[in-house]
Amino acid sequence: MTVRQDNRLLDAPMVPVGCRQCGARVQVRKSSWQQTSVQWDTEAMDTCLERRAGPDDGRFIACEALRETIAQAALDGHVPVPDDHYGPVTTVPETP
Amino acid sequence: MTAVDSRHDDVRAIEAGAAPTRFARGWHCLGLSSRFADGKPHTVNAFGQKLVVFQSGDGRLNVLDAYCRHMGGDLSQGTVKGNEIACPFHDWRWGGDGRCKSIPYSRRVPLRARTAAWVTMQQDGLLFVWNDPEGNPPPADVTIPLIEGATRDDWTDWVWSETIVNTNCREVVDNVVDMAHFFYVHYSFPTYFKNIFEGQTATQIMKGMGRPDARPPAKSGEPQLLGNTSVASYHGPSFMIDDLTYHYEGMDIKSVLINAHYPIDANSFVLHSGIIVQRTDALPGEAADAMARKMGDFILRGFDQDIQIWKNKTRIDNPLLCEEDGPVYQLRRWYEQFYVDVADVTPEMVERFEYELDTTRPVEAWRKEVEENLARRAAESRPA
Repeated sequence: MTVRQDNRLLDAPMVPVGCRQCGARVQVRKSSWQQTSVQWDTEAMDTCLERRAGPDDGRFIACEALRETIAQAALDGHVPVPDDHYGPVTTVPETP
Repeated sequence: MTAVDSRHDDVRAIEAGAAPTRFARGWHCLGLSSRFADGKPHTVNAFGQKLVVFQSGDGRLNVLDAYCRHMGGDLSQGTVKGNEIACPFHDWRWGGDGRCKSIPYSRRVPLRARTAAWVTMQQDGLLFVWNDPEGNPPPADVTIPLIEGATRDDWTDWVWSETIVNTNCREVVDNVVDMAHFFYVHYSFPTYFKNIFEGQTATQIMKGMGRPDARPPAKSGEPQLLGNTSVASYHGPSFMIDDLTYHYEGMDIKSVLINAHYPIDANSFVLHSGIIVQRTDALPGEAADAMARKMGDFILRGFDQDIQIWKNKTRIDNPLLCEEDGPVYQLRRWYEQFYVDVADVTPEMVERFEYELDTTRPVEAWRKEVEENLARRAAESRPA
């Protein structure tokens, strides 16, 4: 049973974001302004200050510093956000 | 409007794949311990085998392969004698450790008189068995968290139910990410939804408002239901603890829901639900029991709707997802860790993944800020 690739990632892959607080690098994707996906790796887990201080029982909800970093990255256009909620994925224009 | 791209006009093929032939590594709940603690052997079909569950004279609950290694008699049709289960065929006596302790008509027990014994755990009124296709005991850090209310007097007893479902158990696990079904099945209106997969836990957090169209208005004198907060985690492949709080005007009602299963075979499983509710001044004694029963009925109705879907649907390994769907593939990647040898668990299966939907964030304000940023950038990049 091999797990297949998410068809949505083929159209719009995750993009790297470095936390402004601690520098932890994660992969981020937004399917809308309200939705955010974050893929961590072991190195990011070991780097993140809030994660290291948090519980280990699956109930560490989020790193607030990372949340703010991602929100700003979306506003700055570094994390693409589909423009039309019900249309195909398009990206916010990059900084020239 | 939904855009359709005519360049990709081929028929999408469903890849069903075969259900896995092995069963998940992890703790599986067999139900309320009290059900098994009656001095009689119980038949449990699980992990593609027949098991016998019995309470020995010392009070322990034991789980063995049901078939006697002598001539294949069914121990679950036998009799508990002291600390052993006696086979109905020739009265061979088996201990909870899986060893044959005596054969009443023989002077000596033969070598290799050992059968498969499952590691068991009793906590919070529940019986768990450890399944590991590699045959290893549970590592010390692979545990099921204690449920505080389960052993406290100011909480109700468990309202428990069991249902056999004739499909592979991946279907029930998929529900962790299925945000949309809360609206359709559970009549809830999620305003916040989050999944977190990390290590051996898969978490679903949901805050919702009751749907005004699905709920009767509060009677005069009764508090109005404002919404609910649900924090639910699978601890391993099959046992989910859901801390579910209902928010009423002026008070909260706290409950714990269990959603658990164990596989019978590749194409069927036993689905359990359990509920306890905290007694408060506003919800004392019998009122809390009634509330727990009512919630139990409500959950069973939800399960029945799920089961209707499951028994008619096909297995699908390549679901075609839209942007509003949850992280089905990432959940399945997490779930895969329980179906491979420990040595073959890859970092991707256990590394943290978050999926968050927050409808309470001020989207319009964000849009405005984006437009301002873009306008500013455009102005800055213009040659002076």
